Amino acid sequence: MSVRAELKYKIMKDYGAPAIMALQDIKKRKKRPVPEAFGPPLESNKRLKEILSRHYFLSRYVSGVKKVAWVTSGAPVELLRAFDFYTIYPENHSALVGAKKQGGDYCGIAEGSGFSQDICSYARIDLGHMLSGKTPAGKLPKPDLLFCSNNICQTVLYWYKAIAHELNIPLIHFDAPFVTTEQTEADVNYMAQQLQDMIPILERVSGRVFYLEIFEEILKRSMETSKTWGAILDAMKAQPAPMTIFDAFGHLAPIVSLRGLPVAQDYYHILMDEVDNRVTQGIGAISDEKYRLIWDNIAIWYKVRFLATFFAERKMNFVTATYTNAWAETTGHLNVKDPWKSMAKTYGQIILNNNLKHRLGLMTKMIKTYAVDGMVMHSTRSCKPYSVGQFDLRKAITADLDLPAVILDADIADERVWSEQQIHTRLEAFCETLEGS
Amino acid sequence: MHNLYFAGVDVGSLSTDVCIIDQSGKVFSEMVMPTGVNGSEAAERAFDASLKQADLTRTDISAITATGYGRASVAFATGKTTEISCHGVGAHQLFPKTGTVIDIGGQDSKVIQVDTHGRMLDFAMNDKCAAGTGRFLEVMANRLELDLDELSNPLNIKGESAPISSTCTVFAESEVISLLAKNTPREEIVHGLQRSIVNRIWGMVTSIGIQGEVTLTGGVAHNRGLVALLEAKLGLSLNIPDNPQTVGALGGAHIACRAYHSTLESSTT
Amino acid sequence: MNLSIPERSEYLKILSDSDQKIMGVLPALYPRELLWAFDLHAAEIWDPPGDILHANAHLQTTICPVVKKSLEFILKEPDVINTGYLFPHTCDSLQNLGTQVKDLIGVSLPVYTFYNPKGSFNNTTTKYYREILQNFQSMLEVSYGTLDSEKLQAACLLGHRIDSRLMDIQEARQTDRLLLGNQEYFQLMRAQEYLLPKDYMSLLEQVEILDQPSEGAKARILVSGILPPSPQILDFLDKLGVSIVADDLLAGSRRLPKFPMDPPDSPLDYLTDRFFILPPCSTRGGDLDERLHQLNKRSKSSKAQGVLFDLVKFCEPELFDHRLLVKTLREQKIPVLTLETELDSHLSGQDKTRIEAFIELLFEMVPR
Repeated sequence: MSVRAELKYKIMKDYGAPAIMALQDIKKRKKRPVPEAFGPPLESNKRLKEILSRHYFLSRYVSGVKKVAWVTSGAPVELLRAFDFYTIYPENHSALVGAKKQGGDYCGIAEGSGFSQDICSYARIDLGHMLSGKTPAGKLPKPDLLFCSNNICQTVLYWYKAIAHELNIPLIHFDAPFVTTEQTEADVNYMAQQLQDMIPILERVSGRVFYLEIFEEILKRSMETSKTWGAILDAMKAQPAPMTIFDAFGHLAPIVSLRGLPVAQDYYHILMDEVDNRVTQGIGAISDEKYRLIWDNIAIWYKVRFLATFFAERKMNFVTATYTNAWAETTGHLNVKDPWKSMAKTYGQIILNNNLKHRLGLMTKMIKTYAVDGMVMHSTRSCKPYSVGQFDLRKAITADLDLPAVILDADIADERVWSEQQIHTRLEAFCETLEGS
Repeated sequence: MHNLYFAGVDVGSLSTDVCIIDQSGKVFSEMVMPTGVNGSEAAERAFDASLKQADLTRTDISAITATGYGRASVAFATGKTTEISCHGVGAHQLFPKTGTVIDIGGQDSKVIQVDTHGRMLDFAMNDKCAAGTGRFLEVMANRLELDLDELSNPLNIKGESAPISSTCTVFAESEVISLLAKNTPREEIVHGLQRSIVNRIWGMVTSIGIQGEVTLTGGVAHNRGLVALLEAKLGLSLNIPDNPQTVGALGGAHIACRAYHSTLESSTT
Repeated sequence: MNLSIPERSEYLKILSDSDQKIMGVLPALYPRELLWAFDLHAAEIWDPPGDILHANAHLQTTICPVVKKSLEFILKEPDVINTGYLFPHTCDSLQNLGTQVKDLIGVSLPVYTFYNPKGSFNNTTTKYYREILQNFQSMLEVSYGTLDSEKLQAACLLGHRIDSRLMDIQEARQTDRLLLGNQEYFQLMRAQEYLLPKDYMSLLEQVEILDQPSEGAKARILVSGILPPSPQILDFLDKLGVSIVADDLLAGSRRLPKFPMDPPDSPLDYLTDRFFILPPCSTRGGDLDERLHQLNKRSKSSKAQGVLFDLVKFCEPELFDHRLLVKTLREQKIPVLTLETELDSHLSGQDKTRIEAFIELLFEMVPR
């Protein structure tokens, strides 16, 4: 680690980043007017933007100071934090590219180099970034290590394997056996052992020694952060709900990619306070909430604004989603006294690694506790674990709960497969059913 | 020594093309006729018409290569070769420095790398979907109520273009419908369509790479707007044959000629 | 050579009529010997004939045809499958299909799953795999009584004999000592998907292996991907005089150990070792360099002149690996052709053109 690089990083962290953020803030004074259908926007948005921009901004100066790891959204990142890795989340970055409606361009780069257009668009965008160096975030540091877990999909394993090969860097894979009925003791032991097996590799790559106390501290912080995130989502049970799920898609970023760090912990306290306040004062995310909806699957990043407006104008608000809930659902298992096994339980049982009976039960519970009137399912060609089974989930839910539901065929980040006309017709028909029921 | 004649018969999905040459490579006839429903009849008809044009009879032709989708149905051919090899050889005959051939045909499009004899080194072909083919343009021309010539107007490359998916014809068609519903100017849509095809072709080009001069064949080479866009995207200028549609048949005729002579050699040695 | 290979559905019908317990198995890796020890016959059901119709009501259009066809078959609840279905953990789509069938669609027979660890060979993964085997055994014991350890030993011995014979046949194929066309060769390979192991073994014993190489085929290619090429493609290749001399298919040599094993001593140890010395496979997150190495080695030993990738549409695990394999082979100047199949019985004109052009390329059939 060079002293110069470290000094530069410190200066940028303490002075450079705040200055740039302030500058950006001045530039962005001219805000877009909020459409009438929406309530007042969340104050926390500003802080969220700051945190995320700062994270990407600082990553440019991290080379020679900290080791960089690319991590999947469901990986047990707490272990990496104990070695002070600077973590980049390719899924988060791909979502950012998607939200900027540039997904097609990045996918095109990957496709041109020989990757099929039938593979996940998060992966194609990331591979497009890797092959071209392009990113809307300015510049991303090259990874020293890749860390993935197939608890969200097997795809990340194939994807990270391709990066590891291209960049010739180590890949650590955390194998999380799919839960077909319930986790067995063998599953838990296997995962716990894998985590412990990783320590010597992480020590070697990071050049740091593992201290259990530091790790426990991080674990505690992570638990507390997830709990706050869960409480924020819980607050959306209020009528009117203080935020929409489209807000939550954005506010999800720290729990996914900064989990275990103080900045994420602090941020959710700020958001929690604001949300609580809005509930007390009866401020809703949309001005007139008449219908409450549930969202299933990952966001359609390039259409978030369009969908938010479309539904808000019809007095419909998304108050819960299986997606946002994924980072709160299983953290109850975490236990500092038994870190390895408790992490195995937490990370092994998340929604996408669990059977569809569990998912149906969870969705049913969410629909009831959040007083939901209708369901929108995004069937995404990119994500098989989230999408295979949706047709039958829909059938079961509409039959058991007498709930109108619609399935939108789209993609998470490749805007080229969006079929405006078709989606519009489906959405209009869904709204008519909902209003008529 | 009396003149020897050779023919290439390219039975494509839309048109059947015939080309007759002599052993020096001089072209005596080029014929393009619609294929219709019966490839074998179309081949007979086009071949007869071509012979008439060259003022020759069937017995004058020493060897005939059949190519194209209907190559198996050409009963009178002495050999058959895929249109991929034929386009390579044909393009190389017209532009000897050709290292890469881009063929945008009716049903499919391909990118072919060739050696210094025009023989294929590698190739890429579009997948099942018709996006990036002549058929795609035809479907879209119908939607826009334009004829194919109108679709080919050269456009200002820097101008606006409507975003159109390059991944699927069905998608693209529904996008065109919604663009029309939004009163998007037709030039912008046309530009978007051309861009979509070019992106598709570019994907194939990058998958096998470019070498030497690039020659464009197939009916779509007439589309000037598309050619301009493709040249801009590739950053080079394309060789465009006068008759881009008959390059396959021309290549076929040359392959017939080469095969005739190499059999002759091997039987005399 | 004339091999008499029984037809799949007739054979299974006869078995089930004679009260053989038959389990319908999905792709691709599962401890077949453990099933045999319980007198359960594992019949693979992932490429049934017929169109996809009812499965479309349960699965999106962008799901691979292997998954769809398997579900189409299961939805019919055919009588020949009389004890249950087994879903090995292969990919995301099959993982979800297993729970979808079990927990949402519902079938009258039990649905079993088997997890294939994605990690590489080490103490942690081998210990876990052994525990999975034991748990699977306990689960079967609930329905089929206590396992007879001698039966398991015998099943492992039979499995070992089949493996050895298949390795010999594969070796013979590579060196032109087998008088089988592509069509027959793959019928023989695929018969293991549905024949009782003892029947399969006696079929393998009928295969004649020549002492000396016969006159080799005009053209030799290696095929890679998931499933063997469709009968239509095999037939077409036979007609063109092209021989598939080696394979790197999931439903092919990736199910056969990389090298010969000692005969089993302790069955569970044997099954564990066998799993971890299977060739690198995309579905298990296998190492890319090792896969390339295997592919090169096999193409050298078989003197293959080109590689044909026959990919199943929407098969993500294979699509990721494919790009690097193709890129590297191209750099080595080895001709490569990729076909995308949907397991239908039709060979399109476009694919025929592709194959023929590939052959023209391989053999420089166009004169100078």
